[in-house]
Amino acid sequence: MDMPFDAMGETSDEALLVLFANGDGAAARVLTQRLTPRVMAHAYRLLGHHAEAEDVTQEAMLRLWKQAANWRQGEARVSTWLYRVVANLCIDRRRRARGVALESIPEPEDDTASAAEVLQDRARAAALQSALDALPDRQRQAVVLRHLDGLANPEIAEIMEITVEAVESLTSRGKRALAAALGARQEELGYADD
Amino acid sequence: MPMTDNEPDRTGLNVYLDAARARRAAPSSDLLARIMADAQAVQAAADLRPAPLRAGLAEQFYRLLGGWPAFAGLATAAATGVWLGTNLPVAPLSAGEVGYLVDIAPELAFDLAGGDF
Repeated sequence: MDMPFDAMGETSDEALLVLFANGDGAAARVLTQRLTPRVMAHAYRLLGHHAEAEDVTQEAMLRLWKQAANWRQGEARVSTWLYRVVANLCIDRRRRARGVALESIPEPEDDTASAAEVLQDRARAAALQSALDALPDRQRQAVVLRHLDGLANPEIAEIMEITVEAVESLTSRGKRALAAALGARQEELGYADD
Repeated sequence: MPMTDNEPDRTGLNVYLDAARARRAAPSSDLLARIMADAQAVQAAADLRPAPLRAGLAEQFYRLLGGWPAFAGLATAAATGVWLGTNLPVAPLSAGEVGYLVDIAPELAFDLAGGDF
């Protein structure tokens, strides 16, 4: 019998995965709604392409469903495992198709910002995404996990299977490369006004 | 010099990072529906998978004994018994040693030479 949907808000991802493996449909819905936005955002930042990011998200979630029956409790967090799978899928795709053009994503609703501010923010986000696209794969992954997804260095180290010092080195070099790439565009994108 | 999280943002990069954080790509309802359909398909396939076969008699006996450690000990003891029964060297008794033999149950002896029956 399915666990009530509302009762699952505080249930851990790992426990929900066990419920899913036992055929619980509500667990599948909660995991989908909880994890898909994070996976999608991460995939988009690594790929810079909306449709490709959707494909990667679906594939990563499918792998999670298939892994559920064999999930070993206590070995890894579901989110850590997913970040790793997404990164591998994105790296594979980028190697297969270099130079894919950035696709625009829907404008977020923002009643407080003026049209000019929205356009400026949109241009800055697009510029950052272009600069991210030019980084080496590991630097991009580390910068995205640290500065866009907001993870702590120890968790990033676990996801990337490297030391915390190596994470710090990757993010540091990545940020310097981004700053250099964006430096030339600061006036164009209105940084000088801030 | 490497830039760290604690250093002031002299390059202006944080403005771009803030803009990118505010523009998080969201999954479409169509993608969420496809992911749910995948989940249901995986669950349905798991339901159709045949249950593991019941262990056979030999397997049940093996488990009853306690698995391989107990089974290995039992096999070693059996092999030693067979070896003792077939290969233990028996030295022939000399004439003097025969005199020390005592029949502890003479009524059970089977005398072919002088039977009373």
